[in-house]
This record gives sequence, C-alpha cells and structure tokens, in this order.
Amino acid sequence: MTSRRQAVQDTIHLENTPAAPAPRRRRVGRRRFGRNAMAYGLILPSLVFLVAIVVYPLGVGLLEGFRYHNRLQPWLTAFNGFDNYVQAWHDNQVWLALRTSFVMVVGIVAFSYAVGLASGLLLNHKFRMRGVYRALILIPWVVPPVVSYISWQWMLNDQSGMVNQVLAKLGVIDSPVLWLANSKLAMVSLIVVGVWSRFPFMMITILAALSSIPDEVNEAAAIDGASRFQTFRHITFPLILPVSVIATLLQAIWTFNDFGLPFVLTGGGPANSTTPLILLSYKEAFQRFNIGYGTSLAIVSMVLMLALGAVYLRMQRREGVYE
Amino acid sequence: MRREAIMASSSALHARRPGVTSGTRSALSAGYRRKRLRRGLGRVGTHAGLLAIAVFSLAPLAWAISSAFKSDTEIMTNLSIIPAHPTLDHFKVVLRESDFGTWFLNSLLVSLGTTFLAILVGSLAGYAMSRWRFRGRGVYGNSLLVIQMFPGVMLAIPMYLLLTRFHLIDTLWALLVTYLTFALAFSVWMLKGYFDGIPREIEEAALIDGTGRLGALRHVIMPLAGPGIVTVAVFSFLLSWNEFFFAYVFLASNDKFTLSLGLYSFIQQFTTQWGNIMAAGTLATVPVLVFFFLLQRSLTRGLVSGATKG
Repeated sequence: MTSRRQAVQDTIHLENTPAAPAPRRRRVGRRRFGRNAMAYGLILPSLVFLVAIVVYPLGVGLLEGFRYHNRLQPWLTAFNGFDNYVQAWHDNQVWLALRTSFVMVVGIVAFSYAVGLASGLLLNHKFRMRGVYRALILIPWVVPPVVSYISWQWMLNDQSGMVNQVLAKLGVIDSPVLWLANSKLAMVSLIVVGVWSRFPFMMITILAALSSIPDEVNEAAAIDGASRFQTFRHITFPLILPVSVIATLLQAIWTFNDFGLPFVLTGGGPANSTTPLILLSYKEAFQRFNIGYGTSLAIVSMVLMLALGAVYLRMQRREGVYE
Repeated sequence: MRREAIMASSSALHARRPGVTSGTRSALSAGYRRKRLRRGLGRVGTHAGLLAIAVFSLAPLAWAISSAFKSDTEIMTNLSIIPAHPTLDHFKVVLRESDFGTWFLNSLLVSLGTTFLAILVGSLAGYAMSRWRFRGRGVYGNSLLVIQMFPGVMLAIPMYLLLTRFHLIDTLWALLVTYLTFALAFSVWMLKGYFDGIPREIEEAALIDGTGRLGALRHVIMPLAGPGIVTVAVFSFLLSWNEFFFAYVFLASNDKFTLSLGLYSFIQQFTTQWGNIMAAGTLATVPVLVFFFLLQRSLTRGLVSGATKG
C-alpha cells in the first residue's frame, strides 16, 4: 500500500513540474515525452480539429492566392506567381476598401471604447439597480447580430424608418435624411451601429479591470485631496490602461473581420463606399467567382491582422496575464 | 461612494473640534450640506448617464419587438413603443409561410452540438495545459488565440472548395466543426484558467485512491470548475446561435438554414413587410435572452474573473 502511494506521488511530482519558471531544457528526449504522453493524448482531439479546419484549409488558401482561378473559366486555372498582388496594388477598389476598413475600425473602436469606459465608470460603485443596468446594457451583445442589423437597417430607412419619422415629428428635418443611401452618412450609420453592438464588451472588460483596483487606492487619493478627475487621470486610468490596450486591439481585429455588419446593413453600398477589405474579398471570390484574386485579398487582410495579433500577444505576455 | 463617506466623516471631525465658534460651525455644516447636495446630484448624474446608455442599447430592440405586435397599418402610423392593438398575425405568418421551425431546430442542433463538444474537447486540452508543461505547449496555446484573429474569408474560401470536394458543403456538419474550432480557443483558455485555481492536492487524493487521470478530471475537477463551464457553455452557444458568415457561405438549401441565415433570406422574401421580419427576429432572439438572463450572474462573474486572470 505504502509503496503504491509513494509511486503515485512520484509520478505526480514528476508530471507536475513546478509552475515557477521552469528551467529551459531543450534536449530532454524520450523520457520527457513519455512523461508528457498523457498531455499529448489530451490535446489530440482539439489538434485534429485545428489541423482539419484551420491548418489544412490555410495551406490550400495560401496556394490559391498565387493562382489564377476563376470558376467561370476553370480551364484557365494556373499558378501566376505574384500577379494577383500586382493586380491588387493597381486596383482602386482595393485602396478604397482599405480606407473604408481603416475608417470603420478607428471609428467603431474609438467610440465604443469611450462609451464603454463611461458606462464602466458609472457602474463601478455599489448601488441598487446596478445589476439591472449592467444586464440591460449587455443585451445588444447577446442579440443575434443579424437581427440587430436588420432592425437598424429598418430604423435608418429613409422612408419608413423610425429615426426619420421621429426627427420629422420633432420638426428637426423637413425632408428625409438618406442615412444609408448617401455614401458619407452610410459610413456614419455603420459606425453608430458598430458602436452600439460592440461597446458592451468594452464595458464588461473595463468593469472587470476597475473592480480589481482596491478601494484603498482611491481612498488614499481622496485623503490626499485629489479631485475625482485627478484621481481618474493619474490613478484609475493608468491602472486600467493595460487591459484597455488589449481590449482595444482585440476589438480592432474583430471589427476589421466583421462581415455581417456592412453586408447586412448597407450591402457595401452605396457605390462601394462601405465595402471594407473583407467584404471586397468575399465579393470577388463568391459573387465575381474570382477565387484566386479573392483569396489573395483575404491573405492581405490576414497579414494585417497577424501584425496586430503579434502586438496583442506581446502585450498580453508583458502584462503577465498570459501563462 | 466610499471616498465621499470619508470626506463626510472628516468634516464631522472638524465640526467636533473644540473651540470652534458657533458661526464657523454653521458655516461648516453649510459646507457639509453642500457636499451632501453634490453627492445627491452625483447620484442623479449617475442614473441619468446610465439611463441614457441603457436607452441607446435598448431602444432599437424595443422598437423592433413592438413592431412585431403591430398591424401593418399601425406600423406606418403609430410610433409608440406600446402597440395600440396588439396582434399575433405576423407570428402566424412567419410560422405558417416559412421554414422557421426547421431553421430553429437546425440552429438548436448546431449550437448544442458545438457547446457539448467545446466543453468535452476543451476540458481535456485545458486540463493538459493546466497540469503539464509539455513541449509545444506555448505554440499550441498561441495558435488557439491566433485563429481567433483570422479573417473569416481566409478560411471560408478554401473550406468552401474543400467541403465541395468532400461533399460536405450544404450540411450542418460543416458548420458544427467550424464553430467548434472557434469555440475551442475560448473553451481551452477559460477552463485552463479555472483548473489552475483548483489545488493539485485535491486530485492527488483522487489519484491515490486509484482513480485514473481522466476519472479525476471527470469526477473531481469538472464539478469544481462549474462557473467556468457555464461561461464556456454560454459563449459557445451564443457563438453558434448568432453566427452568420460561415452559414451564409456553406449553406444553400432552405431546409438546412440556421436562424441567422433564414432571417437574412426573409429580407429577400418579405422585402418591406417589416412586421413579419420583426416577428421572426423576435422569435430568434427570445431563447438567447432567456438563456442570458438565467445565467447572467454567473456569466458576468465568469467573464470578470476570466478577464482579470487572463
């Protein structure tokens, strides 16, 4: 009995190398693998999915990006080196789409951070109704995006939309405002709806960061005679800055990759003024059947996002939350 | 709040200081009153701010849902949130003239399947991440995070080609495995975080009693990671229930549609019959809202602790 207990404890101690910074041993060889065989077995099922759904298609996609592949002329399919990228460089649509992506990401992320921060700060003390407010504000985050985008599309409709009807009734406008049919206003609408659907995530992240600040910190500042604004500016904000940067980066990536918002709300129009790069890539591949060219645009998007992603991973590691 | 309390008590201290004349005392209490007034105003300001944000959040949905209960003529004339003559006609049209029931079932199947598998596969991998430092652990963990940053099109185009070749296009399986892959990243990291917080001594006891590693995971660790599992479940369910892009690319036939896709096809079918569209939207939203309100507390708690833990 005792020997069995001893043996089990030994294996536990061997398997559980202490969480403290483990010395980097490169060549530990077969014995180490044997000890970790169980771990490899445990991650195997998820690895299978990763390889089948991400790695394999990714490989196929990388090849497609260097091919001429039009589904209307399948017989012309051939590798064409960097032709797709040269074509993209000279394609005005691509530059317009990049600009649209940029405006969309900056607008949505900046405003959703501002609204998220405001609501996070307002919710960060104890009072009755706090839970109610928090739940209500989180609702846009759980509603199916297609439902919200369709509702917004109708609300902003120039003829039958609620926004114009209310504005007309209040006497603010004489003629209907073309919220979705004017290219400048369509961009504004896109940003407003994007902020609406994305700020709840910002709020909950900021709220989490705020609630991890001990009360004593703020009390000390108050005793030293700091005003509320000074406390925020010099104490609260620096403390939530790391989480803010990470949340902002993630939101930027997700907003850039958001297909549903422009596709359902405006369809990318009018005159492609709200077509971000993601939507353009989709349209090339599936509506104009240029699989090769569409994929090359997707690869460009991916490279841009991986650059942002690298910054994100580095930030997380520096914050020590990673690991 | 606390800070105000401290300020109030410090002013009380001043007031009690001996040798203060009655005149200054009344001046101090006037200052105290002003402070109390400001605190009251602050509270009003908090509520006003939160109310404005809540209205911004809810008004679009409230209006959409109320339109579902209005007749077609009332939709055009009555702007009020409360319908004058509530009717269920639009819901009847939706249920009778579309495959709504099928779409609902498809969404439910895919979402429950994704949720179940995300917890099963994710808990195994999360356990490995938490208890072993195997070689490749960092690469594995990072690649889970990185795939969350992939533009959907980058995967959708080649997957479309591959699924067509393997005759899996236009099936719910295609969606299930795709959603699972995206849900896994969250599941593995979230559960790893929870497992990290469970002391090893607890499972050592189970191992000594002769239970295997998997047994310990199933009977000892999993029950202790309850809130984490709830969070993962809600997240995976919402992810699959709300997903639109891959469904739009992979599915073609009406009887395979998920709810999001079915709703989108409604715009084509009913163009400007907003009452019908909103009725369908309401039906699609209700389960999510019920789910959310039931689990709201543990979900936000899970998210908060997950966010602070990383």
